[in-house]
Amino acid sequence: MKAYLQEIAYYLPNKIINNKDINEMHPEWSIEKIALKTGIVNRHISATDETSLTMAEKACNILFETSTLKKQDIDYVILCTQSPDYFLPTSACILQDKLQLSNNCGALDINLGCSGFVYGLGLAKGLIVSEQAKNVLLVTSETYSKFIHDNDKSNKTIFGDAAAATIITSEIIDGCLNAEILKFNYGTDGSGSDYLIVKNGGLKNLNNKKAIDEFDEEGNFLKNDDFLFMNGKEIFNFTAKAVPILLEENLQKNDYTLNQIDLFIFHQANEFMLNFIRNKCKIPREKFFVDIKNYGNTVSSTIPIAMKTALDSGVLKNKKTLNLCGFGVGLSSGSVCLKIV
Amino acid sequence: MESKAFLEKFTEQFIDCDDISIDLNSNFRDVDSFDSLTGMAIIMMIEDEYGKKIEDQEFKSCKTVQELYDLLQSK
Repeated sequence: MKAYLQEIAYYLPNKIINNKDINEMHPEWSIEKIALKTGIVNRHISATDETSLTMAEKACNILFETSTLKKQDIDYVILCTQSPDYFLPTSACILQDKLQLSNNCGALDINLGCSGFVYGLGLAKGLIVSEQAKNVLLVTSETYSKFIHDNDKSNKTIFGDAAAATIITSEIIDGCLNAEILKFNYGTDGSGSDYLIVKNGGLKNLNNKKAIDEFDEEGNFLKNDDFLFMNGKEIFNFTAKAVPILLEENLQKNDYTLNQIDLFIFHQANEFMLNFIRNKCKIPREKFFVDIKNYGNTVSSTIPIAMKTALDSGVLKNKKTLNLCGFGVGLSSGSVCLKIV
Repeated sequence: MESKAFLEKFTEQFIDCDDISIDLNSNFRDVDSFDSLTGMAIIMMIEDEYGKKIEDQEFKSCKTVQELYDLLQSK
C-alpha cells in the first residue's frame, strides 16, 4: 500500500503588514537591513475574529472548490496547530462539522510547529498504509501573530499567519500531483524547548496578563512570558547542526544521493537560515526552493504553501523527486522524500 | 589551511555574498549586511570546516578577517 500527496490549497488573511509598516512602528530599526536578512517583505495577519479554525475552514473550502476529491471522500482529518481555538474539544472535530465531512471520518489535532507538515504527512501515510483511512485531509493552521508582543519587532518581522490544506490518498488520481510519499526520518530534542516558547497560558502557568517586559543589556525588548519568545541564536544552532544530518540520513534511507533530488523544499524559516543550510548541505541554488517574500514564516504551512507555489508557477514541471525538511519549535524536525509518479 | 580558502568560506556567510567584496584586511563589521546572525554563521562555519570552536567574546575581539584567521591558526 502506498500513499500519495495529491492537492494543496492555502488561505492567507487579508491584512498585510509590509516592511514599511514595521519601520513606522519601530523607526529606530533599519528595516531594509532586516529585509535583506529575512527575505520577507509582506506577512499576512489574522483579523481579531479570525482563528486557526476559521482559517483552516477557509483553506479547506478553497481546496474543495477545485479538488478532484469531494468532501464526502475524506475519511480522516488531521489538524496541526499550536494556536487552537480551545483547550478542548479537538479543533479537528469542529472542522469536521464546519466542512460537513462524513460522520465516519476520524479527526485529531497535532501540536507541532515548523516540523508539523512533515509529521502530518507521516501520520497520513501511516493511516493509509495500515488501511485505517483512504483519503486524509491534512490541515496546518497558525495564528502566531496573536502570540507576539507589540514591542517584539524581531518576531513581528519573521512570522505570518496562514492555513494550508493538503489531500493524501491511497490511490493514484489522474490529473493530480501523485507524489508518492516515501520514507521518513524524525528528530527531537526537548532539552531546547525553552528556545521557542509561549510560557504562560497553559495550565502550568496561567496567563494572568501580569508578566513583565524583559530587556537585554542594550535596552532592546527581549521577552514577556505571556507572549512568544524565540532565542534566535539557539534555534539557528539547532537547525544548522540538526538539519544537514537529518537530510543525509533521509536521503540514505530512501536510496537517493543529493544529486538525484530534483527539488528541495524546506521549512521557510527565513532566507538567511535557508541560505546557511543550503550552503552547508551543498545543495545547488537552482534546486533549492525559496518562497518566503510575501508570506513570512507561516510555521507549519510554509512547506505546503511553497509546494503549491512551485506547482502553480511551473517550477515542479518535469521534476520527479523532492525532499522536504521541517524543523523548529520543540525542538523538532522531520524529513521525507516524495517521488512524483 | 590557506587564508584565501578561508576568506572565500568567510564571505559565503554573508547573505549578499555575490554583491560584496571583502579582503583579508577588511573590517568585516563595516559591511552593511553584517550583523549578529552573520557572526553566528561564521562561528558555525569555522566549527564545521576547521573543527575549532571560537567563543563569542573571542569573535567580538576580531575586527578584520586576518585577525580572525590568525586566531583560528593559534588554536
